Amino acid sequence: MELSPKTNPLSAEPEIETSHAEEFVEQLRCVADTLPSRINIDAQSVEQGLAKLVLTLIEFIRRLLEKQAVRRMEGGDLSPEQIEELGLALMRLEAKLQELKTQFGLADEDLNLDLGPIGRLI
Amino acid sequence: METFVIEEWEETELSLLETLDHVLNRGLVIAGEMTISVADIDLIFVGLNVLVSSVETANEVLRKRQSE
Amino acid sequence: MKLYVYCLAEGIDVRREPTLGISGASVRVLKTENLSVLVSDLEADSAPVTRENALTHAAVVRSVLDYFTPLPFRFGTVVTEQQLQSYLSTHKAILESKLESVRGRVEMSVKIIWENTIEQQPQSQNKSQVDKQGAGTMFLAEKRQQILGDEHRAAEASKISTWLHETLSELVGDEQVTLRPTERLVVSAAHLIERGKIGQYREKLAEMRQNRPDLHFLSSGPWPPYSFANIGLEFKTQFGVS
Repeated sequence: MELSPKTNPLSAEPEIETSHAEEFVEQLRCVADTLPSRINIDAQSVEQGLAKLVLTLIEFIRRLLEKQAVRRMEGGDLSPEQIEELGLALMRLEAKLQELKTQFGLADEDLNLDLGPIGRLI
Repeated sequence: METFVIEEWEETELSLLETLDHVLNRGLVIAGEMTISVADIDLIFVGLNVLVSSVETANEVLRKRQSE
Repeated sequence: MKLYVYCLAEGIDVRREPTLGISGASVRVLKTENLSVLVSDLEADSAPVTRENALTHAAVVRSVLDYFTPLPFRFGTVVTEQQLQSYLSTHKAILESKLESVRGRVEMSVKIIWENTIEQQPQSQNKSQVDKQGAGTMFLAEKRQQILGDEHRAAEASKISTWLHETLSELVGDEQVTLRPTERLVVSAAHLIERGKIGQYREKLAEMRQNRPDLHFLSSGPWPPYSFANIGLEFKTQFGVS
């Protein structure tokens, strides 16, 4: 195993090299926030944990619905009235979800789930 | 040679965040160590796995019907 | 009394300076057959995710890196000795094969950020059209723009990831890549490389930085192989099938 005189022993702290420290700090904080917190057993965090889970699922489905609606709109098989109705319904759904997030004190970034090998849900 | 200047606080913060990114979500896992709340979420993970694939399938069905 | 588990290694007798682990407990080696595990005693049932604990965990795993490449356990692995023994005997074969695959290697990390402005999509609607539309229609039109932009970004991210892979392919043995973990993080990659190639790897990265001034890079390492430890074991443990 070669160790050139310049390199630190491997057991030293890993070197970090970047020209944009601040940006990476911001982004890595986001990544850290979406990780499941594993040691919460008290009632309030269990409740919020469940709310997070449920709202994440709804948010996932809501986005699928939006994508589906846009596809159909582009597909040209919807009348202008149908498009308008669909859009309004989805608007209301988005607003409702926003309300629920606020009620539980959850931010947009809170609604995500790490499914391990599958990746993140949203 | 270019040298990058990293502020001291940034370096500490980055070091911690990079460390967290490595130790928190990677590494060997022993299922038995999960606490109660995580055990609940584990079950739901299994459910979600099924859910994710059934939603995708449903979408596919919709798309097929549309193109018929 | 439970055990806090740090990492797995092969049965090598390592003369080490005493190291302090979580909650100030001494780190010791637990041997079973030909697998060794670094552990420390823990009175609590779990270890809270604190700065101090995370750094301690990382330091303990890192402390053996000069002698051999360990397989790190995830932070917060607190089990009884029995649970640990059971895990080790159940997964003995695959753990030994993993130790083989990381021998003489270390993990290097690369993360890339792009500027927000890169992926602006031109507005395809003219103003007179927009004025006549109802709120619902406008909502969907906006969503359409967002979705198109997102698909465009996904394609770009994939291209960048491929470029990263191809440029480093000769130096990298194995890799774990996540595309767009956040809006601005294009890719987060972990590379398993031979110890002797760290210098070349860093040189290649420096070249890549020069070639793409529009992208911002963060590289870190060397790390013990956290990202390569649990691969292939996830479904067995997390999903309760074993």
